[in-house]
Parts: sequence; structure tokens; C-alpha cells
Amino acid sequence: MAQITLDIFRFDEATDTVPHRDKVAVNVPPTTTVLDALEAAKAEVDGSISFRRSCRSAICGSCSMNINGVTGLACKTPCNTVMDENGVVSVDPMPNFQPMKDLVVHMDPFWDKYTRLKPYLQPKDKDSDHERERRVDPEDMKKLVQVANCVMCATCYALCPVVSVDPSFAGPAAIAYAYRFIEDVRDDQRGERIAQISDDYLWLCAHCYACSYCPKHVDPHDRIVDVKRAAIKDRVMMNERGPRHALVVNKTIRQTGMLQETEVIQGTVGRFNITGLIKVAPLGLRLASRGKLPPIFMKPIPKVDEIGIIFDALEVPVS
Amino acid sequence: MTTTLLPEERAIDSHRKSHSAQTRRYGFFPGCVAKESCKELFNSTMLLAEKIGIELIELTAASCCGASVVNDTNRDVARVLNARTYAQAEALGLDDVITICSTCTGHMRAANKELLESEERLAHANGILGKFGAKYNGSVMVRHLLWLLIDDIGLDNLKKMVVRPLNGLKVAPFYGCHIIRPESVNGWESARQPHSLEDLITAIGGEPVDYAGKTRCCGFHIQLEKDGIAPAMVGQNMRMAKDNGAEAVITPCPLCHLALDGYQADSAARWGRTDLPTFHLPQLVAFALGVPADTLGLNKHIIDPRGALVARELIS
Repeated sequence: MAQITLDIFRFDEATDTVPHRDKVAVNVPPTTTVLDALEAAKAEVDGSISFRRSCRSAICGSCSMNINGVTGLACKTPCNTVMDENGVVSVDPMPNFQPMKDLVVHMDPFWDKYTRLKPYLQPKDKDSDHERERRVDPEDMKKLVQVANCVMCATCYALCPVVSVDPSFAGPAAIAYAYRFIEDVRDDQRGERIAQISDDYLWLCAHCYACSYCPKHVDPHDRIVDVKRAAIKDRVMMNERGPRHALVVNKTIRQTGMLQETEVIQGTVGRFNITGLIKVAPLGLRLASRGKLPPIFMKPIPKVDEIGIIFDALEVPVS
Repeated sequence: MTTTLLPEERAIDSHRKSHSAQTRRYGFFPGCVAKESCKELFNSTMLLAEKIGIELIELTAASCCGASVVNDTNRDVARVLNARTYAQAEALGLDDVITICSTCTGHMRAANKELLESEERLAHANGILGKFGAKYNGSVMVRHLLWLLIDDIGLDNLKKMVVRPLNGLKVAPFYGCHIIRPESVNGWESARQPHSLEDLITAIGGEPVDYAGKTRCCGFHIQLEKDGIAPAMVGQNMRMAKDNGAEAVITPCPLCHLALDGYQADSAARWGRTDLPTFHLPQLVAFALGVPADTLGLNKHIIDPRGALVARELIS
């Protein structure tokens, strides 16, 4: 048996003002999961060590935590893949959450965003109108299977850099789960759902792919893009900055072949939105002071008509 | 026994030795920002190319890569736009397309992966390209200049070419998202623990600064969606770099450069003053290799990086 040392974040909001750390050594094989090592520490050394867990097999989504600075499920992470040369594994509560006790965090903001979605089917007709369950064509179900694997472990939410600076952002899991209902053929609230999630800052996703570390391979980022496409297709809240940005980018690429920075800023913020433009002006002035403002008019790339042919063939929206 | 790799462990052919690498003639895709507000990036790239003896052949008729935004409205357009670019490289007999932007790298590689993994998608793209007589055969690989420096030139060779070592300048690497994530698209190095920029900083005589923000987002893509959001993300990351002793930042992405260079003034209220100058990757490498500092466009930065070079007695 190798010895694993867990370097554990300790904090109790009821009694502590600042956290401290405890090093706890356990005799377990190096292939033991971080969760089982924690269980051993709790059973054999210190019964007060607190962490959430249930299934121990990546289905319940309870045990997400920071393991050597990387957020993931403790039950899915063997110690020997993360420990340092001295056999030390450091465990911390998930970032982007308020710690409650040791590795347990207050999950309320995450659940709040999830419940706002009304995460249940809202069909047009009543269940009692049907003699049997509603049947769905397997083809229609296919696109929902991946996102239905979400175990709500909040790993993506903890990793999201937008959530870390702006808690009003719905976060990856909630938007991906909105997709699960938006694209369900049995649901009758598609428009309301898209409007709701747009209101919860759907368009604030930064495309950073931090959520690509999803332990269940839900790929929240790709579902966020799907919801954006649904919003554009159904023309929901088109006067918000997100959809305007997407469309003006398309427009400048179609016209010049390039993403024309000056045009994109005006088109997104609004040409006549003086207050809005004043707010983005400081960066423009700083750039101007270095003689590096992007050009106002751009020469189209050679053979720019080919871009038009591509856009027409794919029916790419530009307004 | 076969091992099933998790998506984040899968690497696509990032380390292939290309015909371009053998002949040192590469297709070059500068991207929109290096042609618009960061012309100093374009210029310093060309100066570096000359110094290391490679030929970058600009694909002048190439369009924007889609910049992550066009995907938001249509699932096919980025793939077909980029297939058009790759067809241009093939027509010039080039099998590498070199980028100098993390966002271009990620989105062009994603488009290429979609094309190369499905005959159906490749045929669909070619059906449209055929309307103007173009065709993409699937031979192109998209690589960032950073990867070219390490794989094709080599760190040992670069080290030998250094004539102005950085004298221990403490440089914080800032990767930008799309050159590392998702790993299923990039896969050239670990997205969670990348070290190519650190290796490069060491090779040119600097001292890399480790900090958690190096693989986090700069906020560029959402700077217009909500006021104050990009400065908050910039401030958070630059605070970490500064607290760990950074004197300057290096980034392979001009979008990150614009955000980091442009928004530190706005982030000071929340995160304190950081004022870290942000070098474009080729600027700092070219500088160490002896390209005259006054040709690298350092005066075009909002936070003037010459101060950091003066402090280390690298320029007067």
C-alpha cells in the first residue's frame, strides 16, 4: 500500500472566519480514487472532514471539487493521475461557489438558475388526454441524448470564467439543459424558453471552452451555440446585443470577406445609441492615441463574390 | 488491447511533418485583427519569418475564419468559408496554413476536422466551392506559429539564434482559449497544463511566471455584450500574473492582446493597477533574435512594453 497524503481545505462557516488546511495521510493503493481516499481519511483519521458524495460512480454528480487546482469528480479521478512526486493530492471546494464546510459548497445559485428553466416538459395537451405515454421518434430523441447525460455536478459552472466575474450569467449547465427542452418535440414552450434563457444572458458565453472538461461529455458549449442558433432562427429578442453582434459580423464578412471591426462595434452597440457608444469609447480613444484604430472602410478581399455565393447557398442570415 | 481515449485526450495529427515544413514554405493566414487594429503583429511576424529563414506565403484572398461568431447563426458556414481558404493553399502547393491568432487556430482546425472526418461534409463544402471552380482535397493542416517555432525550428536551434537574451525578464504566458481548447480540436499539447510558451520564454532568456490565469479567458469575445465584463476578466487574470511577479505578458493571440492591453486601465478600479505590457508572440521572439526593437511596433501598444525592456537593460 502506498501512502497518499490529502492536503485538505478546511473551513466551517458556522465557526471559522478564515480557512486552514489539514494534511491527512492514508494507506490506500495509488489507483484509489480521490473520493475513496477521502472516505478513508474520514473513516480512519478525522470523522469531521466534510464532502458530498453518494454513488461513487460518476452518476450522482455530488462530488465535484478542485483536485490539484483542476475541477472534476473525485470519484472519477484516480490519485496516481494527479498526485505530486511526494504522493500529495490537494483538494479544495469548487470555485465560483461559497464554501459551507470543508469541500461542501452552497449550491443555491446553481440550482436557482436551473429551476428558472422550468426543467420539466410542458406539453400542449394534458397527460390525461393520452391513452398511453407520448411516443417520440428515435431520430428526434437522438439530439437530446448527450445533454440528458448531464448529472448537474456543476463542474462546468465552477470552471466558467464568465460566472466568476458576473454571477447573473446562467452558466453552461443551465443553458445546455434549456436546449434539452427547447429541442424536445413534445414541449410547447420553445419561444418562452428561448426568451427566458436569452434574458439570463445566453449571449454572454465567451466561447472559451472551459466547459469542455465536462466529466459526462455533454459539451455544454456546443449546446449553447445550438440555443443561439434557435434564438436567431425563431428571431427571439433580436434587438439585444448578442444577436445583433452575430448578424453584423455575418454582414461584414459577406461584404468584405473580413470581420470589419469598426462596423461590428457600431452594429452591435447601435449606431444611434450614443450612451452605449460613449461607454465603449475609452478603448477606442486609447487605440486611437497609438494610431491603431481599425479602418472605417475596408477594401474587400479578392474574389469576395465567392463569399456571397457561399452565404446564399447556406442561407446565412445577415440581418 | 485497445485503449479508448477520452475526447480531451484525443490528439489529431498536430505533429505531422508536412511538405511545407520540409521546404520551409508555408501558407500564411494572418486573420482580420493582424490586418486591422494590430498591424504590428503582422509586421513582426514577417520580420521573425525572415530571421528564422522561413517563407510565409500570405493567402491574400482568404476570408475571415468565422471568429467563433458565424457558428452562432449557421452550423455550416465556418466550415465552407475555411474550405475555400484551404483550397487556396492547396492551389499554391502548400499543405500547412500558419495562423498567428488563437481564435483563428481553434476555429480553422475545428472546421478542418469536420471536413476531414466526414466525406459527406467535405462533398457538401465542395459542392458549394464548385460553383466558383474551387475544390478542397483535404490535405491542409492548420498550425499556429508557436507550434511551427517549436516543432519545425526547435527550441535548441532557437536558443542558438538568440543574440539578445531577455536577461531574466519575468514573462507571464497567456495562451488564449482557442489554441488549447477543446483538446479534441487542438491536441498539440495538454490544455490543462500547457508549457509551450514557458519553454519558449526560457529559450529566449526570460523567466516564465506561473499563474492560474494563463489558460483562462480574456473576455474579448463578449466585450460588447455587456459593459464591464471583459475588463473584469482581464483584471482577474492580470492580478494573478502581477502578484506572481510578472513584468510583462506574452500571448499568441491578438484578440487576447487587445483585451489585455486595452482593458487593464478599466480593470484597475476593481482589481488594482496591474499595467502589464502585453507582447505579441513574434514581437518578443524577434526581439531576442536581434530584430531591431524600433521595427516591432512596440510604440503601438497602449501599455508601452519598452519600459519593461529598459528596466532589464535590454534597450536604452
